[in-house]
Amino acid sequence: MTTRLERFLAFSADATAFTRFELQGTGQAREYLDTVVRIAGDTIVDRLLDLHLHAKAVAAASGNSAIMEHLLRRDVLSDPRLGPVARNIVKMWFVGIWYELPREWTEAFGAREGDVTFVVSGTAYAEGLLWRAIGANPPGAKAPGYGSWALPPHIPALAAH
Amino acid sequence: MSTASTRITTVERLREYLYLAMQLEHATIPPYLTALYSLKPGTNSDAYHVIRVVAVEEMLHLTLDANMLNAIGGSPDLTAPSFVPDYPAFLPDGETDFQVSRQRFSREAMQNILEIERPKQTPSEQHRLVRRSAPKAQQLAVVPGEPSMQYYSIGEFYAEIGRGFRYLHKEMGDALFRGDPARQVGKEYFYSGGGELTTVTDLDSAEVAIRLISEQGEGYGGRIYDEHRELAHYYRFEQLLLGRYYLDGDQPGQPTGPALSVDWDAVYPIKQDARLADYPAGSELRDAAVAFNRAYADFLGLLTKAFTGQPELLIEAVTGMFRLRDLMIQLIRNPIPGLDGVNAAPTFEMAAAAVVSS
Repeated sequence: MTTRLERFLAFSADATAFTRFELQGTGQAREYLDTVVRIAGDTIVDRLLDLHLHAKAVAAASGNSAIMEHLLRRDVLSDPRLGPVARNIVKMWFVGIWYELPREWTEAFGAREGDVTFVVSGTAYAEGLLWRAIGANPPGAKAPGYGSWALPPHIPALAAH
Repeated sequence: MSTASTRITTVERLREYLYLAMQLEHATIPPYLTALYSLKPGTNSDAYHVIRVVAVEEMLHLTLDANMLNAIGGSPDLTAPSFVPDYPAFLPDGETDFQVSRQRFSREAMQNILEIERPKQTPSEQHRLVRRSAPKAQQLAVVPGEPSMQYYSIGEFYAEIGRGFRYLHKEMGDALFRGDPARQVGKEYFYSGGGELTTVTDLDSAEVAIRLISEQGEGYGGRIYDEHRELAHYYRFEQLLLGRYYLDGDQPGQPTGPALSVDWDAVYPIKQDARLADYPAGSELRDAAVAFNRAYADFLGLLTKAFTGQPELLIEAVTGMFRLRDLMIQLIRNPIPGLDGVNAAPTFEMAAAAVVSS
């Protein structure tokens, strides 16, 4: 049986192109999942994660991994209800911020309690994937050492799909 | 038991001692960093700062040992097969020895670290060395060439090094310091909180280096603060267990400074003395742990270059430490697949790193 956290990590790995190891390495997974569940609710989150699992299964059965991306774009990211929530998950991973859902979303599906723009935790900013993606340290955190600015940045290879 | 044979009477023997001293100083770093990075971010700032500063000072001691070894014409090699011990390793604590492990921050881990830093002067000259009935492979502070004989304490080990320097200088004069001065790492290449890096070119500077190491580690002659009003490592760690900071003038065991707070539960539940074999083959975790070991091997290679004629590389090596920090933290936050609620940790298995990269 797969826990919701594991399904959340599997979706996040495909949606961010970072590995599950790297996502867990931020220490933020539980907090991000709790945030999206608290604001968007169980039904939406489970639907989104189910569609991802389904897309993965279809792609695996067909032996064509590109199908997963196609299905994710069609069924999740283009879906008026799931798309903005999925994008918010990606944004949390990259910058550590939950962004208030778009007005069209709240008008269509109802305003949610707690849905304001906020930094998810005291460590979320420093753990944003944005910094890893550009090979830089978050300004003001994770000091890279005296003179490191004279050395080339270390940009990690993107995770293979 | 004859103590004469363990006296340092040749330059070669002094070099062996100094190399073992480097190995000893380095051996504290994996346990200290493992405890340090097991602290959850945003918590335990008192503990974080205490451990971090001491770890940096161990790196200072390592560099001072390299300077002493270079001063007498030796050549530090941190990439040699046995330089990094397998953990648990064994350090002397008077009549017995004790196990040093890579483990998460806890009361037990702090007790373990206190054992490492404990001030312990031998009760008498013939107790300076202790015969270990069952020598273990990973025993540190042993007599070179006599693996069954271990020093009573790290302090006694360094005391013998000081004696060796004085004895050989008496015999040979300044010819003892035949090393290339260009190999000395000066303070322009090393920045840290406490203690200053000194180059070693003569007997006086060698004695300054030894005194600094002994005072920072165990305190000197029972004093808890040294002449620079710096608190010895032993007492800094003890503050965490006692929940209170020391002030200058305090008696050992009775700090009277401000209270400090420790949250013993705000710690990642990492596996003690974790090994690569604990991580499933082919997992992202295993790959990351192997990558860390390789990065650590590269770091030791860079340090070796910095200690053998290119001291300016130390700046780059230190920035490498910061990247190693990020890799260690990633490992420590990852659960080990199949082990419920137990997280990974860097394994520091250098032999495995060498096999993989060759």
